[in-house]
Amino acid sequence: MMEKEKLIEVKDVQISFGSGRKKFVAVDHVNFDIYKGETFSLVGESGSGKTTIGRAILRINPTSAGDILFKGQKINGKISKKLDREVIRKIQMIFQDPQASLNERAKVDYIISEGLYNFKLYKDNRDKTRKVQEALKGVGLLPEFASRFPHEFSGGQRQRIGIARALIMDPEFVVADEPISALDVSIRAQVLNLLNRLKAEKGLTYLFIAHDLSVVKYISDRIAVIYEGRIVELAETEELFAHPLHPYTKALLSAIPIPDPVYEKQKKLLVYDPSMHDYSVDQPAWIEIKEGHFVYGNKAEIEGYRKELE
Amino acid sequence: MENKDIILSAKDVEIEFSLRGKKLKAIRKCSLDIYRGETLAIVGESGSGKSVFTKSFIGMLDSNGYITNGEIMCDGRDIAKFKTEKEWRTLRGKKISMVMQDPMTSLNPLKKIGVQIKEAIELHRGVKGAEAKDIAIEMLRKVGIPEPERRYNQYPHEFSGGMRQRVVIAIAVSCNPEILICDEPTTALDVTIQAQILDLIRKLKEELNMTVIYITHDLGVVANVADRVAVMYAGQIVEYGLAEEIFFDAWHPYTWALLSALPQLGEKGEELEAIEGTPPNLFVEIKGDAFAPRNKRALAIDFVKEPPFFDITETHKAKTWYLDPRCPKFERPSNIVNYREIIRRKVY
Ligand SMILES: Nc1ncnc2c1ncn2[C@@H]1O[C@H](COP(=O)(O)OP(=O)(O)OP(=O)(O)O)[C@@H](O)[C@H]1O
Ligand SMILES: Nc1ncnc2c1ncn2[C@@H]1O[C@H](COP(=O)(O)OP(=O)(O)OP(=O)(O)O)[C@@H](O)[C@H]1O
Ligand code: SF4
Ligand SMILES: [Mg+2]
Ligand SMILES: [Mg+2]
Repeated sequence: MMEKEKLIEVKDVQISFGSGRKKFVAVDHVNFDIYKGETFSLVGESGSGKTTIGRAILRINPTSAGDILFKGQKINGKISKKLDREVIRKIQMIFQDPQASLNERAKVDYIISEGLYNFKLYKDNRDKTRKVQEALKGVGLLPEFASRFPHEFSGGQRQRIGIARALIMDPEFVVADEPISALDVSIRAQVLNLLNRLKAEKGLTYLFIAHDLSVVKYISDRIAVIYEGRIVELAETEELFAHPLHPYTKALLSAIPIPDPVYEKQKKLLVYDPSMHDYSVDQPAWIEIKEGHFVYGNKAEIEGYRKELE
Repeated sequence: MENKDIILSAKDVEIEFSLRGKKLKAIRKCSLDIYRGETLAIVGESGSGKSVFTKSFIGMLDSNGYITNGEIMCDGRDIAKFKTEKEWRTLRGKKISMVMQDPMTSLNPLKKIGVQIKEAIELHRGVKGAEAKDIAIEMLRKVGIPEPERRYNQYPHEFSGGMRQRVVIAIAVSCNPEILICDEPTTALDVTIQAQILDLIRKLKEELNMTVIYITHDLGVVANVADRVAVMYAGQIVEYGLAEEIFFDAWHPYTWALLSALPQLGEKGEELEAIEGTPPNLFVEIKGDAFAPRNKRALAIDFVKEPPFFDITETHKAKTWYLDPRCPKFERPSNIVNYREIIRRKVY
């Protein structure tokens, strides 16, 4: 197999909020690489730290330990102005809360073109207008919307404004935090097709964060499952769905709602109880149990997972 | 069918927004009966008016929005005619309560989470102080927030997106409403918490004989919660029926498009079936069937005349000329006819 180029490397990262007695470690010992041109998804509990990790890659959240590399260069902590600018331009984020992330007093036109303006990424005003209109069309919005304000849109329309704003920058890496959650199925299909097309045409790479596992299954090359700030399992999509090992992953997959009312109303959920792990003596580690398939567990658990895989 | 008790009845409702001198018609002659104790899911295109329509049931339309036609009957009163906040306050909370789509806007960023829940409880349950605080902490626990005592004292920005969402749900159900409107209440939640919330809503519904209107884009969730489903497009309901009827025997071409676009029906590496084109411009009068310009199999009449509702069964109706006896013979798309089988094959 060809050696894949690592675009993002997250190495033993810790992110905490507050300090002293109020210090709260949101994310700890997080390790993963994202290869150029792939869609890497983070799924897991609400509040487990997905957004926090995404924001750390964008340098919005500072890290308290570990390193984050972009094309081999360290981008967390103190970095040069030049690199900072490069990161701001080449790494874009589609934010989870479109309401909170759009400037309510600015028109859509301004919101979408702000980044272009900051980096002078257009020839003249004509070119800028054209780019904004293309970006709107790309996410299924009418070009006329450019002259309206965010609060005049429905939830899904606002979310797409956020997507247009990120994609117009022509980024190399996009953190897409719940980019499709407020979208109806058809627009969702349109946006997913758009993300996939940009990936195929421009080699765009994604960190995709979503709760809708049917979407994650469709779009991702690899998936990491996170629970309480720690990644508990990581594998290629097909492998993860076929052979989930960690009990949290199993619970998660069992909870995916299936669009069949007869099936759905009688299905059984697997419930995950974190107290099932006894890590007092036999300590857990991050193990590659099979090529490309990682799981977090202690010796006894890993033994059990090995048996399951046979 | 047994005679059902209608708890809320909207008839021919029209809602307009005025935008810098122009009129945008968001809801066009929309009618809907809601039965006591049922869970009705509303699905549909983004921008089709799901939030606007249901917000009009609790008087929460944005200030530039007006009900310009129709009536909304609830408790023998036409609430579409309500003018003052005072009138709305007789209804909001105890009778109808709503979980809004954007959790950040329904929470006060400067107030502690717990205090916001406590205040809702004090307002509607007639308890005060420490007792209200205990109920608030209990509500946080019920919606699955770990360490509720510690979390009680935090501010909204210290919560993750999904946790904020659960707080909003806690506030809405702490009023024990008869009708609970949930607008995308679980989109920011992981599926295990989502399953928990759906269970919670189901339990509350049974305990309190609550009626639930559930707006979501997730058809999996619809399958999970809904007794009935209404499908909206461009400010109108275009099809409604029992959940099984909508999933397994859809008739409106927009409903077909909705089901066909599901990622569960998609093949990795291949494009999903998106609907071409854009939704209609709501600033201008819509002629014929609003979906016709995007429907590859539209009939000539679709562009001229708006279809009425046709009965498929006593509970299932769709607003499409395909159901007119004069409509030429045609086959529905194969993935709709075989929907159930395809889903079974692909996902179980
Ligand atoms: N600014 C902050 N101050 C204090 N705590 C924070 C802050 N931002 C996030 N947290 C905490 O960090 C943890 C992780 O939050 P994060 O937003 O990353 O979760 P998430 O996995 O994205 O969840 P969701 O799926 O609900 O969006 C949560 O416990 C949250 O309360
Ligand atoms: N305050 C407002 N001023 C002007 N237009 C508005 C306003 N609020 C909503 N609209 C318009 O009304 C229409 C219906 O909006 P609504 O929020 O009900 O959509 P929705 O079906 O809930 O969509 P989504 O699934 O994206 O939340 C949209 O076209 C929207 O742009
Ligand atoms: S949720 Fe309850 S407290 Fe909040 S506004 Fe509605 S009725 Fe009042
Ligand atoms: Mg998040
Ligand atoms: Mg809405």
